[in-house]
Amino acid sequence: MITLKNVSKIYEPDTYALKNVSLHIEAGEFVSVVGQSGTGKTTLIRLIIAEERPTKGRVIIGDWDITNIKQREIPILRRQIGVVFQDFKLLPRKTIFENVAFGLEVAGVNLKRIQQVVPQVLKIVGLENKKDRFPKQLSGGEQQRAVIARALVHRPKILVADEPTGNLDSINTQEIINLLRKINEFGTTVVLVTHNREIVNSLRRRVITLDHGMIISDQSSGKYIL
Amino acid sequence: MLVFLLRTIKFALQGFFRNFWLSIVTIIILVLTIFSISVVAGLNVVASKAIASVEDKVDVSVYFKSTVSESEILNARYRLESLSEVESVNYISRNEALDNFKKQHANDPLILESLEQLETNPLGATLVVKAKSIEYYPRIMTFLEDPAYDDLIQDKNYEDNKEVIDKLNDLSDRIQRIGIIISVVFIIIAVLIIFNTIRINIYTHREEIGIMKLVGASNWFVRAPFLVESLFYAVLAVIICMVIMYPLLGVVAPQVNNFFEGYNLDLVQYFNSYFWRIFGLQFAFALVLSAFSSGIAITRYLKV
Repeated sequence: MITLKNVSKIYEPDTYALKNVSLHIEAGEFVSVVGQSGTGKTTLIRLIIAEERPTKGRVIIGDWDITNIKQREIPILRRQIGVVFQDFKLLPRKTIFENVAFGLEVAGVNLKRIQQVVPQVLKIVGLENKKDRFPKQLSGGEQQRAVIARALVHRPKILVADEPTGNLDSINTQEIINLLRKINEFGTTVVLVTHNREIVNSLRRRVITLDHGMIISDQSSGKYIL
Repeated sequence: MLVFLLRTIKFALQGFFRNFWLSIVTIIILVLTIFSISVVAGLNVVASKAIASVEDKVDVSVYFKSTVSESEILNARYRLESLSEVESVNYISRNEALDNFKKQHANDPLILESLEQLETNPLGATLVVKAKSIEYYPRIMTFLEDPAYDDLIQDKNYEDNKEVIDKLNDLSDRIQRIGIIISVVFIIIAVLIIFNTIRINIYTHREEIGIMKLVGASNWFVRAPFLVESLFYAVLAVIICMVIMYPLLGVVAPQVNNFFEGYNLDLVQYFNSYFWRIFGLQFAFALVLSAFSSGIAITRYLKV
């Protein structure tokens, strides 16, 4: 599903964010990417969603080589990859329903379909009763669930979560992880970038460890080794 | 497509109302720009119409001596008519000239009595020459300067009208020059203001734009609302400009018409008959100006 072949990303003049990284993630996998700050985890995510281009190597999503993806093709890619960030990125003046619907609205989906899909994804994330609330009226965990709901509206094949629990307490963290597991069980490939040792160890799924832009460990049922 | 259009309009309206006062200032500047250009164009119309009217009244009257025979005058008329510059030559015979003179002085018994006392008609015949264009009159005058006509022609009048036309041309040129300078200044201000408004709107919407891109909005969907918003400014500015101009024209028109009394010039009628053309031109101008300014801001500040 996701393939990186000898990928390097250099920020001018000579900072290596990633150095000769090769990896392959199968469809339906749940992969945790771990590593200390500044080891290239976020760069990896940005390459997958085509927010950055590799300096060397190739990035392939499904059968699509996105190494030199055209500007006008990026939206098509983004609709196949759901993205969740640590800082939520919800629009404060929109209700939860509107925030989730926003993803479909901007993709030109008609109103009938929006009213059909949004309640479904809100139900998956357990926010069906809070759809008319504004983000600030929800807890951090609930806000992150709303973001996941927004990421799911396009029924993406891949869900990329960059430190989704970074701002949450342990109870909310566990809720979000359970939700990501549930989404993975539906068949979506999940790439989780995290610092959280407990989460990684409790998941018992594949763990890729990055250090100074290089993969130093890739275990199929791994633990947080740093 | 319809969904795309409706959502673009919705986002454009949001942008318009979120920075409401900025939008109002932008529209005011656009109104001033369109208004100043319209006034300059209007003055041009008045000036060119006035010049055309005066030009239409210009002719050269050639007064022949009373001793000159009719055949000699008709011969001169024939030669004048054969000139390529001449549009028409009107012959006023001695008797017609006398009748006209009597009519003009019908209320002056002294003159009429003096005429009665003269046994013969003291007036000579006249040829009224009209040129195809005002520039041809000097050539016609040169033709009449021919020594062969010295013994026949008593007087010619042309110079007075020429002075009026020169003055009008000069005035029209000055109005045009000042008008163009004012318009250019307003155009520059309008471009800068629209550019800045869209730039601020992009800044205000930066969070939304980021999310739009993240969830897969097409590049055009991100850009279009800002372009549409600038088109709102254009549409509203043109409508406001028309609403101001029409009553103002009602006030100014009678005075302009009075000034040019006798000349075929009616501003309101002109405005009415060319309403759609004027509206269309203003609209096209405002659209181009808005699209240009917002286009620069979008290209520069909205990286998709």
